[in-house]
Parts: sequence; structure tokens; C-alpha cells
Amino acid sequence: MKIGNVDVKVSIVAIAVFVFFTIFLLIASVYSPVIRSQLIWLIPVLFMLLVIPMALNYMSRSQYTGMEPIYEAEAKTVRVKLINENMIGKPVRIEGVVERVYFQFLNRPQYLVADRSGAISVKMFTTPAEDVKVNDVVEVLGQVIHRYMVTG
Amino acid sequence: MEYAVPLLGFGGALFGIVFWMFDVQIDVRISMLGCVLASWVLAYLAWIRPRKDIVALTTPIYSFIFLGFPLDTFSVVVLEVLYAASLTILLVRLKYRFGAPSAPVPDKKELAEPLNSYVKKTGDALLSTGPEPAHSAAVVFVRFAEGEFLAAARGAESAIAHLSDASAPRALQCAFAIVKEQAERYDKSFLQPDTFRVFPPEDASVLAKIPDPKFGKPEEYDAALENALLLLFAGAWNMSEKDHPHLLKCQAFAQKLLVP
Repeated sequence: MKIGNVDVKVSIVAIAVFVFFTIFLLIASVYSPVIRSQLIWLIPVLFMLLVIPMALNYMSRSQYTGMEPIYEAEAKTVRVKLINENMIGKPVRIEGVVERVYFQFLNRPQYLVADRSGAISVKMFTTPAEDVKVNDVVEVLGQVIHRYMVTG
Repeated sequence: MEYAVPLLGFGGALFGIVFWMFDVQIDVRISMLGCVLASWVLAYLAWIRPRKDIVALTTPIYSFIFLGFPLDTFSVVVLEVLYAASLTILLVRLKYRFGAPSAPVPDKKELAEPLNSYVKKTGDALLSTGPEPAHSAAVVFVRFAEGEFLAAARGAESAIAHLSDASAPRALQCAFAIVKEQAERYDKSFLQPDTFRVFPPEDASVLAKIPDPKFGKPEEYDAALENALLLLFAGAWNMSEKDHPHLLKCQAFAQKLLVP
């Protein structure tokens, strides 16, 4: 869905949550008169489950769109190997191949991008404008950040 | 220490089985201590790895939750065997999925290996470096590590202007020239040129990475910069002690450059 210049995408998780609670509400309202009497506020709340993720996605996407020219102007093209902790906060540009894609279903995708010097984790805090897949050649504009991860 | 996890886990379970089979009049939950200790050992092994496994880290909590409730003897024994098997599977998973324990963190005043060996190796060859060029080498290296490519290029340019064969060995002069050339290009995000400066073959003894004849141009370009930066680091470390704190902050970057 397009709002202004921003192509808003709702994650599959948000849609699944909305569908689950819609079905749950439908069934509950058939069997329970108490639920039926509360539908006047339950239905708007149900729609908020879609509207809030859409609003958040719109805000993050529009912020990314607004920052793109700034990064285009300021980012230096570097090899992955040259990126280090002393560069935290610096805008950089890397070119490489997507080796792995994670968390795309959450609208917070993370990619493993590699060039000839090494690989680096690229985290997006919104959906990309295009669907990025493994083996795609990409140009990444972003800021060097330090991430702490706990996995299990 | 890795063997302690199955040994403690199954050892405790074995005691539980013995208590159960021979009807020993003792609280069978004493044998649970083996599983509890095995959980703590597993959590410790997870903690010392650079990548943290939250499942292994939280096993001590599970050991208390699952084994802390009063159950009959047979249930305790079954639970212990299953729990010891789970811990062993988690240990195998930790070992293969989360890699080796991290190397001991070097003293904040020392260089870690293999950087330390490289710096020592170049000590004699860089002995003629004066304090000023050594300080300039530190400044250029730190600026480059910080992504301040223009400042690194200007620093290298200024150092080259003041260098002579008396104040710095030829290899170090060449390193400044390479860093200047490439830092200028990185600052402007220019592509790799067709012709570029590299170390002459006689400098091979002081280089961290010996250029492979099979290298293509891009690899040769990258190797020239990495060797130049490492040589500046070594020159600065060997001959400018006052810059050690700044160089130590960039040690991880230098280590990264050393990796083939």
C-alpha cells in the first residue's frame, strides 16, 4: 500500500495476528452474548492490530527515504574488512553479495553481505524497498553500529 | 571441562538408579546435584564463548525448576537420565554451533598474538625509525581505522614530506605512500585504479602478508594497503611508546587486517 511516496508493507506476522484474532472474535461472538455486547470497541481494537504496524512501518520507511540522500552524500565506499569498532557512527557504503537473509517476516530483516574481503551483518530497521534474496548483488548504505546478540 | 557435563549428569543419574534399585534409604534428590552441577558447568562453557548460547546459559534455572520439585524415586531417576541426555546434546550443540571458547583477553597494555609476533618480527628492520615518523605512523593508522580517510591521507602526505632515509627505512616510507594513495581514493569512494603503488620485492621480509603470485589485481591492491597499515602499526608500536594507548584501541582492527 502506498501512502505518499512511501510504500507501506505490513509484516506477515501482523497479518497472521490480525487474522487469528478476527477468527477468534467471530467464533466468540457467535457463542457469547457478552462478547457481542463488547463488539463496539473490540472491532476498532482489532483493526488497531493492523493500523499500528502500518503506521510504524510508514514512519520507519519515510525516515529511511529521507535519510537516503544524506547517506548517499556522506558515506564512503569501503571494503567489509576495513569496517571496525573505531568506525562506529560513521556512514559507509559497501557492495557485496547477500549470503543469508534473516527475519524478513518481521519487517526487520537482517542480511549477511559479503565482498572479497569478508562478510558483515547488515541490519535494517524497516522493510527494504525491494525484496532482497540470497545471491542478490546489493549496495548497502548505512551506519556502523555495535550489536549485541544472544542466540539460542 | 567439557567432559564434566556428561560425567556429572549421568554420574548423578547413576547414583539415582543405584538408590532406586537397592532401595537405599536416602533422599533420592541428592543425586540431582550431579545434574545441577552439570548445568552450571554447561552455562560456564557457554559464557566463555564469544557467541552466547542463551539455551545453555539458562540451564541452571531449568535444573532447579525441573529437578527441585518433590517426585517419587522412579520419576526422579527417569527425569535425571533425560536431563543428563539433554545437557549432553546441548553441549554438543554448543561445541559445534557456537565455536571454540574465546581466546584469553590480552592485557590492555600488551598486543595479542599473532599481531605481537609480527610487530616483534619487524623490530630490527624498523630500528632506524625516528620518533617523529613513528608518531606520524600511529596517527595515520588510527585515523584510517576510524574511517577518517582524508585525515589519514593528509597525515601520510605530511609524513612523506618530512621523511628521509636517515629518519625512516624505505619500507616505512613506501607504507606511508601506499596509505596516502589508497586513503585518498577511499575518501572520494573512487574505484580501484589500473595502476597502483605496491611494496618492492626487497621489502617482503617485513610484510605481514607475502603477495601470492596468483593474486589478481584487486587482491594485490587490498594486500598492499593491509601490509602498509600493518607496517605503520608495527613502526609506531616499536618506536613510539607514547602512542601505545591509541594503538591498543585499534588493536582489533590490526588483528583483522592480519587475517588472510
